Amino acid sequence: MISLEHYLIVAAALFSLGLYGVLTRKNAINVLMSIELIFNSANINLIAFSRFVSGDTEGQVFALFVIVIAACEAAVALAIIMSLYRILKDVSLDEASVLKG
Amino acid sequence: METLGPQIIFWAFAALMLGSAFIVVHGKNLVRSAFSLLATFFSAAVFYVMLGADFLAGVQLLVYVGGILTLLVFGVMLTNRIYNLNLETQTFQVLPGALVSLAVFVILTTVVVRTPWSQSALIEDGPTTPIIGRALMTEYVLPFEIASVLLLVALLGAAMLVRRRTDL
Amino acid sequence: MERLDTISSLQYFVPEIVLVFTLMAVLVCDLVSKNRAPRERRLLIVIPSLIGLVVALSYSLQGSEAVSAGLFHNMVAFDGFGQMLRVIFIVTSIFVLLFTLHSNELRLVHHGELLVLLLTVTVALIWMANSINLLMIYLALETVSVASYVMVGYLKTDRLSNEASLKYILFGAVSTGTMLFGLSLLYGLTGSLDLFEIRSALSSQEVVASSGPALMVILVLVLAGIGFKMATVPFHFWCPDVYTGAPTPVTAFLSVGPKVAGFAVLIRFFYGGLASPSEDGASWAMVGSVDWQTMLMGISVITMTLGNVGALLQTNMKRLLAYSSIAHAGYIMMGAVVLSGEGIQAMLAYMIIYLFMNLGAFLVVIVVHNDVGSFDIKDYAGIWRRAPLLTIGMGILLFSLMGIPPFAGFLAKWYIFSVVIDAGLGWFAVIGGLNSAIGAFYYLKILKTMFIDGSDTPEPSTPLALQPLYAGLLLVLIVPNIIGLLLWGYLDRVTEFSQKLLDAM
Repeated sequence: MISLEHYLIVAAALFSLGLYGVLTRKNAINVLMSIELIFNSANINLIAFSRFVSGDTEGQVFALFVIVIAACEAAVALAIIMSLYRILKDVSLDEASVLKG
Repeated sequence: METLGPQIIFWAFAALMLGSAFIVVHGKNLVRSAFSLLATFFSAAVFYVMLGADFLAGVQLLVYVGGILTLLVFGVMLTNRIYNLNLETQTFQVLPGALVSLAVFVILTTVVVRTPWSQSALIEDGPTTPIIGRALMTEYVLPFEIASVLLLVALLGAAMLVRRRTDL
Repeated sequence: MERLDTISSLQYFVPEIVLVFTLMAVLVCDLVSKNRAPRERRLLIVIPSLIGLVVALSYSLQGSEAVSAGLFHNMVAFDGFGQMLRVIFIVTSIFVLLFTLHSNELRLVHHGELLVLLLTVTVALIWMANSINLLMIYLALETVSVASYVMVGYLKTDRLSNEASLKYILFGAVSTGTMLFGLSLLYGLTGSLDLFEIRSALSSQEVVASSGPALMVILVLVLAGIGFKMATVPFHFWCPDVYTGAPTPVTAFLSVGPKVAGFAVLIRFFYGGLASPSEDGASWAMVGSVDWQTMLMGISVITMTLGNVGALLQTNMKRLLAYSSIAHAGYIMMGAVVLSGEGIQAMLAYMIIYLFMNLGAFLVVIVVHNDVGSFDIKDYAGIWRRAPLLTIGMGILLFSLMGIPPFAGFLAKWYIFSVVIDAGLGWFAVIGGLNSAIGAFYYLKILKTMFIDGSDTPEPSTPLALQPLYAGLLLVLIVPNIIGLLLWGYLDRVTEFSQKLLDAM
């Protein structure tokens, strides 16, 4: 039988992969994809808990809102990348470095 | 035999999800990364079905695959005029990044396995759409309205940013 | 706390409703006035926005009956604390709206969307600060974030603004994504999204015994998101870059609005979900098995130290103020550590005074940039001879930020330090005091540049161009810093009122 922990471990692995992508990728679009992995891992958690722990649809409703938010964020992020691309003609985090951290 | 079916599906899609996610974060080619993401999103939708969240699985496919992924592919294409050129991405700091995320994975897994989650009796499977719809109109009506403000402002912001003229 | 349903919640929700209708009205006004002359068109969008904000402000000021309720099925709280924050956000928004009118950076761009975004962030900040449900906290926080990402990148032909925006959204999405993962685990641990139900779940003995590591991980993950909004270490990296790249009025807004809302979420989350109030409601005790008080203390100490040390090295005014705002986040957090009503009162007082001194300092930056066209501190040389009154005003603001008596900034610091000392954390106050001393260096460096540098050049100096609107605003922002002592009794009453009502949590 597939238990709650199985789902949670897969979600943890997905979260770590997303984190890995965020830390190592330079291309802004690629970082964005890694962020989507993080959102998905949280959603798997929410839905798994919704079924196994709370026994109602609270977690599913939360996950639904997360999907809406992820869509908004992706749209705005891509708009910013487009806008910057027009100025730079090459979207790479290394390029975006007139500002020094 | 009865429980073997779900097990096979679970492990197959878990492998597909993590494998494709690995290509997303580690692949050298952006287009390939975008298409691997498709497999990740799809496997997540399969998980949702297995967890009895049929409505969420549908939304996942519609919004993620139909919306966000399409947007990302457009982004990849548009930011590379000649798209088989200059699509290569270089990775730096691979080792520290790998170590950090491995540590995070180990910590999370340990916590997840050790914590005794207070599991209640499983709910019966059934269509969740009416339940979620009712919740959105009663208990979650405020978040529902706020989400519409969020969507409005995201639409407005994205349109403003990509429009070429600045004086309008 | 009384749990209200949708219809009965509406009467407590008027300012928010007014703001939402205003933002839609401004959007429509902007569209229908498309063919009019630019000046006329701007009036047509600025005036409705101002009217909406003022109406919302007047509603927020009169709604002071002593009730506390969980609106919309316990999604957002209505209490004294929330009413106070509502006023803070709307006042900030009115100031920033007026800041945008004559700013040189925004001269060539159309203001329509900027005002809509500003109004959206304002109302979303109110939601964020009053959320008492995990879903609401996350949703409101993201609404604030998405709108402010666009505001930072508003100068879309400017490379710095775009880069700042990209950094902001990538960093922001990672932080909030991390927070979301933490929230999902917290939901799993307690089986609920409601903060009060989470508190009672965490109070039960069996959960306390078994959930230590899980709760620890959850808190670290959640603090990533809240820390990003408060700009505390280690989630402050975005701050100097974003503050430098964004149009200055937007920077001024970011340094006050989201920061204050971040602290409000911190209070609601930790005091509402992870602590239980004492009988008389004057203090809280932690529930669960994680000592988050020490955690917050550590963050506070590191944040103020790194902020102050970082500011020492800066040559750009906006970067310097960014580091200074990080340091102030550290001071404000001292009030959250002591787990008492008085601590919250001190935080609120600090944030109100911080609003005036920080917005004032940014307005001077806008004024100088309008004339000199630069944010470099070295270009502030000789301002004293060109605009003596402005320089004195900036002096007062900087002394207030430094915490020198008799200015209001001193009162704020003194209050928060004395609360910390009363709680038996003398060493913590000492660290705060030492940090204020480091802070004095860089604030004095600006003053030295303005007063002394460039005074040996013999050329006759032209007076600095200062728009009447900005002069008036500066006066409004500076005066509270001088007469802070006189207003103190009033401020004390106001914050006490709001702290009392928070006890219902």
